[in-house]
Amino acid sequence: MSQTTFQSNISGYQYGFHKPEKYFFKSRKGLNKKIVEEISWHKNEPDWMREIRLSALEIYYSKPIPLWGGDLSGIKFDDLYYYIKPLQKKAKTWEDLPAEIKNTYDRIGIPEAEKKYLGGVSAQYESEVVYKSIQKTLQKKGVVFLDMDSGLAQYPDLVREYFCKNIPPEDNKFSALNTAVWSGGSFIYVPKGVRVELPLQAYFRINAANMGQFERTLIIADEGSFVHYVEGCTAPIYTTDSLHSAVVEIYVKKGARVRYTTIQNWSTNVYNLVTKRMRVEEEGVGEWIDGNLGSKLTMKYPSVYLMGKGARGEVLSIAYAGKNQHQDAGGKAVHFTPYTTSKITSKSVSANGGRTSYRGLIQVLPSAIGAKTKVVCDALLIDDASRSDTYPTMDIRQNDVQIEHEATVSKLGDEQLFYLMSRGLKKADAEAMIVNGFIEPIVKELPLEYAVELNRLIQMEMQGSVG
Amino acid sequence: MSLIIKNLSANLGTRVILNSINLEIKKGKIHALMGPNGSGKSTLAGVLMGNPSYELRIKNLELRIDKKNIIGLKPDERARAGLFLAFQNPISIPGVNVANLLKTAYQLNKEQRTKNKEQKKTYNPALSVWKFNEILVKKAKALGIPQEFLRRSLNEEFSGGEKKKLEMLQAWILSPKYAVFDEIDTGLDVDALKIVARGITKLKKEKTGILIITHYLRILKYVKPDFVHILVNGEIVKSGGYKLAEIVEKNGYKKWTINKSQIQSPNIKSNPKPQVQI
Repeated sequence: MSQTTFQSNISGYQYGFHKPEKYFFKSRKGLNKKIVEEISWHKNEPDWMREIRLSALEIYYSKPIPLWGGDLSGIKFDDLYYYIKPLQKKAKTWEDLPAEIKNTYDRIGIPEAEKKYLGGVSAQYESEVVYKSIQKTLQKKGVVFLDMDSGLAQYPDLVREYFCKNIPPEDNKFSALNTAVWSGGSFIYVPKGVRVELPLQAYFRINAANMGQFERTLIIADEGSFVHYVEGCTAPIYTTDSLHSAVVEIYVKKGARVRYTTIQNWSTNVYNLVTKRMRVEEEGVGEWIDGNLGSKLTMKYPSVYLMGKGARGEVLSIAYAGKNQHQDAGGKAVHFTPYTTSKITSKSVSANGGRTSYRGLIQVLPSAIGAKTKVVCDALLIDDASRSDTYPTMDIRQNDVQIEHEATVSKLGDEQLFYLMSRGLKKADAEAMIVNGFIEPIVKELPLEYAVELNRLIQMEMQGSVG
Repeated sequence: MSLIIKNLSANLGTRVILNSINLEIKKGKIHALMGPNGSGKSTLAGVLMGNPSYELRIKNLELRIDKKNIIGLKPDERARAGLFLAFQNPISIPGVNVANLLKTAYQLNKEQRTKNKEQKKTYNPALSVWKFNEILVKKAKALGIPQEFLRRSLNEEFSGGEKKKLEMLQAWILSPKYAVFDEIDTGLDVDALKIVARGITKLKKEKTGILIITHYLRILKYVKPDFVHILVNGEIVKSGGYKLAEIVEKNGYKKWTINKSQIQSPNIKSNPKPQVQI
């Protein structure tokens, strides 16, 4: 999309385009009660939300920084801006982006307009039209698909009923922080028995607020419904914010099914600390597909709380850690009720001195008779400088259960390389082929365009790693 | 035009594996290399393809594909220069299937792999996925490889015979200038053996120069090599025609192994030569 088209779309107000606000607001550096109140005031929120924010702030202060995961000592909490109106992000120019980010966009071959969106230079104006037509279809079925701020404004009662009920601020320091200062994210409600056949993509939901540091997403899938939500993208998302701390709360009602797919590739200055949890009721199915490529440190363990008889949960996790990166990822499954099933599959790749950790929890409560769970975590090391660790925790308080755990660590083999090179593939291409083969079982679950982009990205990473 | 090997000597650590090997393989000719276990046959295959595990003595060494010097070239560069190796024990690679691998490998070169003007004309690196698939499926069928094998992880959960057939398929698709088949016949039943032999014969007709490494006469009955060489303790002790293979089948290698229990390489021990890691 050329620059001219881009501008002509700006003037295309008749398509429902919202002009960016004339002003923007940027909180002072650091965090205090006043700033939280200002955020709430700027968003024109109901009192109860402000109260939740303020109490979450107290909880945030009271909790120590977790020491069990990655090294968080590099986060300068007092140096961060906790709330920036979206316009500020758009005010950056294309030229301000680091060359390597622009270069990557070029090599992945994504269109100009999309590059600007990803680079944080502009919002995805073009998708406004697409979004409108999707909205029309969804509205007919009674499906709500909004950004979280609009969700709160338009459906305050629904939000109040579910907000923080699955992930309370007390859960951990960063869920408390998010609750205090959240902005942006998605709000989705799918009525009883409604199946949303097309994956809902955050991509279509436009709005730079989407890219916030403290996104808050709430999804409610009512009885017997189905929805697949896809967020993120494989292109690196450049941000000057060094902390991304999101919360995703999902409610899967009786017999419903929710699949949540994320591929994240933050620039390598970002600490990515995310809390994600699905509460799955009777015969419901909750699935996380979670890919983490970028960031300096990611700590993310999507979890399924199996609360109803026969509920099922699955977590598929891919992590790729390159130079100076630490991916501390995995999944959690908690079985509360009989005949619940969970499966966690993790594939991690460490290259160029990068570090991956699998961290997982399987908890089976005494009430969960006949529960079944399976954990498979495989790690691939590309070179001797890279590292991988596994921290599985199992807490089983019921004897009538079926539990499987498999873990492998393999090093990219010289013999495999020699074999592929003997077919004419250069070393980097051979490595990429082996890595892509390794993650293939998870990649095949991704929407096609994501799978293709991911494979290409791995190839680029490999080419970079061998110069 | 030929694959030329002159004065090839290889060590693994301090152990001498190959000593002054000389071979010239012309296009469209089949050479068989026979020898007892541990005589260095597979090392020769690996060294030709550029396996970095071995050290070569470079003094007087010559390795050429047609006129191109391949000393010091990496395995992929040798492959793109037109060399192919069918592995004795093909390794499994999870998540990588032979269809994708071959498509990628096929597209990598034109100049180096095409053996004559005719092939240059028909070779199309931009062959559509659909068209390529058609060729692949056709050739797989001719080799008795079920179509679904093409999409399965490479060599994973394949039987020994299936792996060998897949190696043959790769050789046939890539149609190299020179191909080395390292014990392609082991683990094959009679029917599979005939099929693979037919594949090799097809390559010969396409003017590929071929080196078959084997223990047994049985594959040679079907492919009828133009030359047979006997490798014992890292040296070629005898070269001849097809008859030589029959003699080996009858009498074994005793004739050459007696008095050869020690590797003869006085010049290496007394007079170390500069070595190169390839």
